[in-house]
Amino acid sequence: MLEITDLSVATGRPAVMLMRDLSRTIEAGQYITLTGPSGAGKTTLLRTIAGLIDPPAGQIRLDGATGETIGWPRFRRQVMLVAQHPVLLDATVEQNLAMPFAYRSVERRFDRAEAEQVLARLGLGEPMERDARSLSQGQQQRVCLARAMLLRPRVLLLDEPAAALDEQAANQLDAVLRRYVHAHDAAVLAARHDVDRAMHNADERLDLTAYLAAPALEPQR
Amino acid sequence: MTLAASASVIELGAFELTLAAVLVLVTGLVSVALRLGLEKRLAVAAVRTVVQLLLIGYILRYVFAMHSPWLLGVVVAVMLAVAAHAAVARTQVRVPGILSLSLLALAGSSLITTWIVTRLIIGVEPWYLPQYVIPLLGMILGNSLTGVSLALDQVLTALRDRRDEVEMELALGATRWEAARRPLREAVRRGMIPTINAMSVVGIVSLPGMMTGQILAGVDPMLAVEYQIVVMFMIAAATALGCIFAALLVYRRLFNAKHQLMAERIERRGG
Repeated sequence: MLEITDLSVATGRPAVMLMRDLSRTIEAGQYITLTGPSGAGKTTLLRTIAGLIDPPAGQIRLDGATGETIGWPRFRRQVMLVAQHPVLLDATVEQNLAMPFAYRSVERRFDRAEAEQVLARLGLGEPMERDARSLSQGQQQRVCLARAMLLRPRVLLLDEPAAALDEQAANQLDAVLRRYVHAHDAAVLAARHDVDRAMHNADERLDLTAYLAAPALEPQR
Repeated sequence: MTLAASASVIELGAFELTLAAVLVLVTGLVSVALRLGLEKRLAVAAVRTVVQLLLIGYILRYVFAMHSPWLLGVVVAVMLAVAAHAAVARTQVRVPGILSLSLLALAGSSLITTWIVTRLIIGVEPWYLPQYVIPLLGMILGNSLTGVSLALDQVLTALRDRRDEVEMELALGATRWEAARRPLREAVRRGMIPTINAMSVVGIVSLPGMMTGQILAGVDPMLAVEYQIVVMFMIAAATALGCIFAALLVYRRLFNAKHQLMAERIERRGG
């Protein structure tokens, strides 16, 4: 479904090369964990796959289509990044969840009942009328995930989705993601720093160590 | 409408100007007496006032006498360049090419507005009559450069500090326009506020310089007021246009065809 071909990843200006020659195909139904030493560029890789920054080389295709052929907003609608640091507007939870449904690239309509259901599955019993920015960091992160899931992308790119969660909430999250990939014929690619848990919960692991452009600064824990 | 001087203007000569200089002299003495330490700067400022104003007086007299559209073009170009520079001289954040961006925004907005006012509203004949074009353009630029400056500062600061928000929207499938419109709208609003404030208090808190000048020159106050209304509206229109142009130009410079925000182009001043 998602084909990554000979991808290089770079960041900054002047550009610093982080990874080279990364090729990988991700199939529907897969839940893949991205691991690598800290500073390897997991975040930059996810941003590159989502098309928010340009790769120096390589291609990313979704069912054969690139951002150039179907348009970047539509591509990102299907290959959707949820950043590690939650970004919510100064509005209620519901308004935040409904916001992207106003975009031209989104054909579906916001369904409040469905939104409540997704939040509940993620362990968020908070009312939808609450001010989103008054929630805890972990709760905000899950609202961001719910916002993405409601748009039903084919690929969810998650940057440390469990970083602010306790063990129980993290397990709940894994169950929700597994259910999502099966229900919607989708895939998840999640950057994780906690390798043990990542191995335990995901189907597969994509270790970036082999693709690093420069030797890692820190040994992998 | 024509500027008909109904009453005679009291002429000022060298003697009257020297008398006025006594006022500055008194201010200087106060500075010495109170040890404000301002006398030197005051003297320099006073000399600058005299030299700059005399210079512009001679230039305007020359330009008015020449009646040349080409000469008017040169004066307009200098005014635009100075205004464009002033609009970005104190912004905290900048992008490469911000000066040309400011120039485009100010030139576009002020020339459109000046043309509408001189041609369609006042009906100046010939169109390049400098005693109308230069003061009107001057008032437009003097006000819209503040608006453009605020709008530029606001939009660049917002796109730098709230990059996360814009990229979050892009990541969710927003087009660059959908992701940018919130900061762009805020920028135009910010740039418009001083003008709207000025419009709401004009005549009550402030008596505009142009209007008082016309009244001093013996023009009927009602005629002066009519001119002032035109001036306020044209300033509002020019400022709005200038802010919109500036915001759109920043948008074009910072978002690419791949719907990416090139926030790394925004730099701190001096950095």
